[in-house]
Amino acid sequence: MTLRVSRRNFMAGGATLLSLSALGSSAFAQDARLRLLWWGSQPRADRTNKVSELYKAKNPGISITGEFLGWGDYWPRLATQVAGKNAPDVIQMDYRYIVEYAHRGALAPLDSYMPSKLNLADFDKAQIEGGSVDGHLYGVSLGANSAATMLNTIAFEEAGIDLPTKATTWEEFGKMAAELTKAGKRKGLFGMADGSGGEPLFENYLRQRGKALYTADAKVGFGVEEATEWFDMWNKFRENGACVPPDIQALDKNDIETNTLTLGKSAAGFAHSNQFVAYQQMNKDKLTLANHMRVTKDSKGGHYRKPSMFFSVSSQSKVVDQAVDYVNFFVTNPEAALALGVERGIPESAAMREVVAAKLDAVGKVPLEYVSGLGDLAGKLPPPPPAGAGEGELTLRNISEQVGFGQLTAADGGKQLVDELTRILARG
Amino acid sequence: MNNAMRTMPAEAATVERYQGVVADSRFKRLWNANAPGYLFLLPWLLGFFGLTLGPALISLYLSFTDFDMLRSPGWVGAANYVRIATADPKFASAMSVTLTYVALSVPFKLAFALMVALALNRGVRGLPIYRAIFYLPSLLGASVAIAVLWRQLFAGDGLVNAALAQFGIQGPSWISHPSYSIYTLVALSVWQFGSPMIIFLAGLRQIPQDMYEAASLDGASKFRQFYKITLPLLTPVIFFNAVVQTIDAFKAFTPAFIISGGTGGPINSTLFYTLYLYQEAFGNFRMGYASALAWILVIIIAIFTAFSFLSSRYWVHYDD
Repeated sequence: MTLRVSRRNFMAGGATLLSLSALGSSAFAQDARLRLLWWGSQPRADRTNKVSELYKAKNPGISITGEFLGWGDYWPRLATQVAGKNAPDVIQMDYRYIVEYAHRGALAPLDSYMPSKLNLADFDKAQIEGGSVDGHLYGVSLGANSAATMLNTIAFEEAGIDLPTKATTWEEFGKMAAELTKAGKRKGLFGMADGSGGEPLFENYLRQRGKALYTADAKVGFGVEEATEWFDMWNKFRENGACVPPDIQALDKNDIETNTLTLGKSAAGFAHSNQFVAYQQMNKDKLTLANHMRVTKDSKGGHYRKPSMFFSVSSQSKVVDQAVDYVNFFVTNPEAALALGVERGIPESAAMREVVAAKLDAVGKVPLEYVSGLGDLAGKLPPPPPAGAGEGELTLRNISEQVGFGQLTAADGGKQLVDELTRILARG
Repeated sequence: MNNAMRTMPAEAATVERYQGVVADSRFKRLWNANAPGYLFLLPWLLGFFGLTLGPALISLYLSFTDFDMLRSPGWVGAANYVRIATADPKFASAMSVTLTYVALSVPFKLAFALMVALALNRGVRGLPIYRAIFYLPSLLGASVAIAVLWRQLFAGDGLVNAALAQFGIQGPSWISHPSYSIYTLVALSVWQFGSPMIIFLAGLRQIPQDMYEAASLDGASKFRQFYKITLPLLTPVIFFNAVVQTIDAFKAFTPAFIISGGTGGPINSTLFYTLYLYQEAFGNFRMGYASALAWILVIIIAIFTAFSFLSSRYWVHYDD
């Protein structure tokens, strides 16, 4: 059977096809296609997508596809995409990884876009510095936060124990937590989480003692002595029931859902201030934020305002200009700021901070007031963690567990921590 | 071409030309006969070369480089392998966890599978349903959902401890205590006994019934019948199951990944070899080193499999 097409039909069909393709080009073709990738939960995705909608409304002809994953799945995915030359244009970057990605040439330097395309004039200077590696800007901070103690106010109230103040020392807090455990108002509730394997806590403790986790030239910033005393302190907390036993702490997968506070195993947990909104959503009782305890009455606070996360632009991107414009919109547009709130931390732009502060609800105000009220507890931003810091975090957790389960003494744990971190950093 | 063949002799073509057509037609005939086969194989062939052999060869190359996923790989010779052999305590720790897991999970799983297969081999009413039910865990077992469920069951306040509490026993948090966590993973693996069970069942069906009849006439007890007839005749099936399950156990990843949250903790007690490999590749940007780890695993599995085959001539009986 042959298909016969008369000349007239052919012409008509061709014309239809042509008009269809013309329709296609006007309706579907785009001037630019932007891909975003970030980690986080659904509420963050909703806020981010809303900003994308706002941006599209102002920039017709741009298409934006956003994708998000949990923290643990995010880094393998990003590394694979970068290796496959398929990196998203706008990448959410963490303080921990920015050095690794910048050194390996995966991120585009943004200095040349300032200030005309990327206007960070009213940003906190120190926070802009946080996104710089080797003197070039590789990440625009999306917000500031700080390590914090999360407190279940109701559990403290039930046990008749006052909440800690800015002056409370670790020793005093240990006693309060032990009392709360003994009060036994709730079955299986301990005073606090076992924070001995938590890197932000340990870093805070070191900074109060004038040391650091890592130095600027990628060395271990503390000695066996500090680490030993740290493990020793937690051993005492474990002995008198101030903190949860090690097998309960080991359930913590380093996220909000499995934190002992959320699981109802402890009245105090440790996290970052920008997570407060999500913590409050997952906890029935009213929560509040406090700083980390002081080592001694007169020690300086070890806190710092951490750029919680950045937007970086991929060096592989074919639409760098557009990506930078999107990032600029994200951090300087008032409507975008309102959509984002404090979910990624307190906005770095002073003007946006005012816009957001005016509209925050009670829960949103807690982290804002906490971070802006740190006062002299907050010090200088430490240098970005060196390559290998990810492995270092796991090492601290591992050794703290060995001490917790009684497989290592505090002294051996301290020595081993310094040894292993030194070895990891040497390897890079 | 059919036309040509038919007309060729009639036209008295030269011998040379005739031979050429025969050779040509043989190939064509072969092709015509096999083309559908290759066509149907095509997806598998594409998958094998594109997704298995190709990546495997690339990973062999990468294992001699310092590839970090972001920059192009640089040749480092055998440095990765030297490091594994001499300066990596975590390799030793991951290997010991994995060997413990293999040594415990494979025998227990096979014994359990055989027991259930024996029970199901009798003429039970509704047999297909039981088979399906017992097979179910194997289908679901490797999934994330089941690993999460396992986490709930064996947590400090999970169902297992609730059951123990009925007898006045206060159990620990099984999955988060370094002394027990590996055993919960072994239990999870044993629970997925379905696929060896089905194979055992098929093997049991192959054993001629008259052997048992003869044996019982001679007054052999049930246990003796099992020991002297069932087990020896089943050895080829046991051998097959043992090899397959051992390879599977070496490659176990999902349960440990989910239950420990990817850390291999507490204290590396669930740091399976593949989990360590994953951490090195994607957590620490050491794809080259992870490739070397992967090839070491290939070699270890090959050695175990070769050893099984060598030993098999002493204990596997083929009925012939």
